[in-house]
Amino acid sequence: MEKLASFIIFIGTGLWLVSVLFLGGRWQWQMLAALILTIGIFLAHFWEELSEEKKNTPKDE
Amino acid sequence: MARERVSQADEWQSWAQRYDIEGGIRTFESGLTVKVFFGALFVGLLMMPGSIYLSYVSGQSGAAAAPWVAVILFTELARRSFTTARRQELYMLLSLTGAAVGSGMQYRNFIWYAYFVNTPQAISYEIADKIPAWVVPAGDSAGVMTRSLLHPDWLLPIGIYLISKLLGTLRFVSGQYILFRLTADLERLPYPMAPISAQGATALAETTGKQETWRWQVFSIGSMAGLIWGFIYIGVPALTGVMMSEPIQILKIPWIDFTQSIEGFAPTGVFALRTDFGQMLFGFVLPFPVVMSEFVTALLSQFVLNPQILYRNEILHQWTSGLDVRAVGLFNDLDFYRSYGMGKNFSLGLVGLAASLPMLFKLRSSKKKAGERGSLATPPNRGDFPLWLMGILWLIGMGGFVWLIHWMVPNFPLSFLLGFAFLYTPINSYITARTFGVLGRDLFEIPYLHEITFILSRYEEIDIWFAPLPDEDYGAGTQGWRVLELTGTTFTSNLAATLLIMPILIVSGIVVQHFIWQIAPIPSAQYPFVQMMWPINATNECLMKTSLRDGNSEIIQAIRGDYVAAGFTSSLAIYGLLWVFKYPSMWFYGIIGGIGADPGSMVARLLGAIIGRFYMIKRFGLKRWFMFNPVLAAGFACGVGLVGMGTVAVALVSKAVIVKPF
Repeated sequence: MEKLASFIIFIGTGLWLVSVLFLGGRWQWQMLAALILTIGIFLAHFWEELSEEKKNTPKDE
Repeated sequence: MARERVSQADEWQSWAQRYDIEGGIRTFESGLTVKVFFGALFVGLLMMPGSIYLSYVSGQSGAAAAPWVAVILFTELARRSFTTARRQELYMLLSLTGAAVGSGMQYRNFIWYAYFVNTPQAISYEIADKIPAWVVPAGDSAGVMTRSLLHPDWLLPIGIYLISKLLGTLRFVSGQYILFRLTADLERLPYPMAPISAQGATALAETTGKQETWRWQVFSIGSMAGLIWGFIYIGVPALTGVMMSEPIQILKIPWIDFTQSIEGFAPTGVFALRTDFGQMLFGFVLPFPVVMSEFVTALLSQFVLNPQILYRNEILHQWTSGLDVRAVGLFNDLDFYRSYGMGKNFSLGLVGLAASLPMLFKLRSSKKKAGERGSLATPPNRGDFPLWLMGILWLIGMGGFVWLIHWMVPNFPLSFLLGFAFLYTPINSYITARTFGVLGRDLFEIPYLHEITFILSRYEEIDIWFAPLPDEDYGAGTQGWRVLELTGTTFTSNLAATLLIMPILIVSGIVVQHFIWQIAPIPSAQYPFVQMMWPINATNECLMKTSLRDGNSEIIQAIRGDYVAAGFTSSLAIYGLLWVFKYPSMWFYGIIGGIGADPGSMVARLLGAIIGRFYMIKRFGLKRWFMFNPVLAAGFACGVGLVGMGTVAVALVSKAVIVKPF
């Protein structure tokens, strides 16, 4: 999940750079990049909370 | 070597623990006692008339130092009576005295509009006869002509004000409390500036006990430094200004501007060295990663981003050679940063939601104890309120307020009021609460919000400009609840004190304003500051209130969607990349604060942070230094405040007795 979140964030960042450098900085493209980044960031935080819970749960021996 | 991921939960928790210098272990006690209540009332009411009078005469009320004077007086009385003062009592005294001194200013608007309604500006702009009766009685009414706030003509404006005040108390107490629980209890944000207020009261409380600890010593060092600095920075210019036409400034106030010196290699860049080195103390207190990343980003903005990217691509297009920091800052703001800043600030809200939503989802299954991140459990005896009750109170307060505004301006679309009340206000407040929790200051502001709203609503009557709008911000107030927690003051005692003192201050404030107005017309020669400033303010107010006449919407055109989107998306990208590369999320807040900012304004803070990080921590150890620095900063604020108040008083007395030849 961590890798998936990182991948989505990279895609979002890349799209934003492309939209600014090659697509004239149109707000529609930028907001699409923002949507992708938002998904990535939410995923990252959900994963962080889940992994923290797992870390704190004692293992059954 | 691979960087180890530290979860945001652990990061915030460790910072919160640093600022909670007693390790979260404390007993909560009521700060409200009879002696505190009457002490605050006595000092507050004694100083209130002076503070109102000074604000009309000199433009400075001197109210900031008043609470400290009250606390020092109180502790001295306690020492001489062989009793002790608890820190809860002293903190309550600080806040109640502040409220009492400031209470007279709440009626200042009535005096202003009583003047404004009869100004030639209001008449020539055709506003005077359109000012609603719930703002001020008619210009020729007895209440205005006889300068009497106690005249029945004022019943409607004062009545409306009192209802708003009551509903406002409901909204602000409940709104701030709910956000405090979310940001401080659930997310464990550190609130770095809160210990300053808390530790000042604690240090002074210890002086009345049998044993004085390190706190009093550190507070005294801070106070002496504050007195010396205050004398150099405020005292010398204020005192020499009495005797000379041009006051002596040992350090140029407020900054030394290098903007023109750097324009050769960094056009559109700004650099003005802020000379208020008191800011170093805040550098000691604020988290080092925030201060450092903020400064580096500001430096890169002014020396790389502005001249090499934004200027070259003609995004910053209004700049010309020879401008000073204010002009360059204004042009950069209009060209780009105002729009970019809007987007940047929205990202703060989204990032906050992303961090807190997973925690809220997990709350039901969580078995965490109070004081742990991700838990809404409250510490015992803190005097908490049920969240559902606060939610209902907020709904009643906000619902009533919306109804009141709808009654005042019945033709203004209700949907806008509801949108402000139930959508904008919660989001805006949550964002501010988070920035206070991390940076200790507000970052979020949408420029021209009211103007944009009025344009979009197509409402053309002038009365809407005089009505309050339900676009509120409870975020800054959450810090006060954190201070209560740090001082161990029960929330219930604070609420009781607020409610008890409110009716007294409402009545006394109005009576004092009435008497000051009776002394002489405001403005008049008796009140030189307002005599000079209010005519200019009247012109400005007329210009603003008529700026949208004839469908003029230049303001909306200044905000560009693509720049707003750039601010929003680039900030999210920065946050995402910091997470991917496992850097602390503190950096994000520093970077966001630094984009477009003037690095010269941060030099003192940076110096403080570097000295703290690389010398003080090594010298005293991390734990001891984090114990010392809020106390030092509190002492410093006290010292500067006392010097400021003293020198302004001397200057005023001198001005009153020296007859000038012109």
